[in-house]
Amino acid sequence: MTQFYVTEVRPHGERSTVGLFYTREEAAAIVRQLESLPGKHGCRYVISTTLPTPAEGER
Amino acid sequence: MPTRRDEARTSRRRAGDNGFRGTIMQGTTPRRLQGMADPLLASMVRAMGLGESPQFAARSPQVMAYVNRWLENGKHRDGAVNPSPVFPDGVAADDPVALARLIKATATELGADLVGICRLRPAMIDLGVDLPHDFVVATVVHEAYDVVIEGYAAVEEEAMRVYAEVSDIATRLAAFVRHLGYPALAHHNGGSCVQAIPVFHHAGFGELGKHGSLITEQYAAGFRPSFVTTTMPLAEDQPRSFGVQEFCLHCTICMKNCPGDAIPNEYVLTDGVKRWLTDLEKCYPYSRLRKEYCHLCVDVCPFNARPYAETYKAFMKQQRQLGYGTPKS
Ligand code: SF4
Ligand code: SF4
Repeated sequence: MTQFYVTEVRPHGERSTVGLFYTREEAAAIVRQLESLPGKHGCRYVISTTLPTPAEGER
Repeated sequence: MPTRRDEARTSRRRAGDNGFRGTIMQGTTPRRLQGMADPLLASMVRAMGLGESPQFAARSPQVMAYVNRWLENGKHRDGAVNPSPVFPDGVAADDPVALARLIKATATELGADLVGICRLRPAMIDLGVDLPHDFVVATVVHEAYDVVIEGYAAVEEEAMRVYAEVSDIATRLAAFVRHLGYPALAHHNGGSCVQAIPVFHHAGFGELGKHGSLITEQYAAGFRPSFVTTTMPLAEDQPRSFGVQEFCLHCTICMKNCPGDAIPNEYVLTDGVKRWLTDLEKCYPYSRLRKEYCHLCVDVCPFNARPYAETYKAFMKQQRQLGYGTPKS
């Protein structure tokens, strides 16, 4: 089964993994819900099928 | 509690409205649904030609009694707030330090092994839920390690016993807070919109381990939690590290013992905290899709050696004789 990781990219570029989902629809629904929150204004979301490994400076 | 009007208007749920006077916090963390409401589990159960998880179907009458206890507690999560509260001597209604002390003493009296408090944050609430509270009290009861390592039936019964017990504690603690004049909502297996891991972290219980559970110094990951959210002003505990996340970077014991090879070595970062995301598709065949419960990743963790040195040593010796794994059937 393909895995779908959702990552939140915050306005200053910080990345935070939201979670792992097992269908694209489920991942997309989570993204839509997050995008609708006023507190998440300015964040964007990436759905990837590979593990979002932290970059060197983030570890 | 959530109202239909709220749901229709915003497709969001609102919890803990009774006596509302706090700020509304919008939850941001998706909750993996439990049981057959979990789309992954449901699809795997259907693929086996079944209508129900074999584990749920095989529950003993004793386990069902525990389940019914938390379901019953689920009906009493919220309630009326006392309009004319009387505080014990030396405790002022607006003194966060004295109130935190009182709440912790009460939770301990009710049976909690650990009690921690922190300010509620959006990441601690389920995505889609608005919660008009400011603080969260986390309570924990430990599982008996020598019982859980006895085998699958023992671990399931012990886990369910403790889940029932913590649901009693949260229910009574929330009622106590409301009796003191503050809105309060209990969260446990019978109903919850609180995300355990971020609360544990901020309440100073410990750190997230590679096996996906929080590790405390006192009980490793062998415990079950419940929570109370409230507007009562409470002094906060602080996050506390004792080296778990660093240790997990170099330890592979849970990975090697997992019968489903479900625990990854690579981690992701969520709000700066390392998370090793268990592959549920590989875990469920052992933890949900057979009659027996699986708890092995938690049982083999060397952090159990701190509180349970001798029992842990003996258990691991037995695991080594079995070849670091459980029967894959
Ligand atoms: S519960 Fe069992 S199958 Fe699931 S991750 Fe832990 S050890 Fe592996
Ligand atoms: S067994 Fe090792 S890697 Fe797994 S959670 Fe415990 S300390 Fe971390």
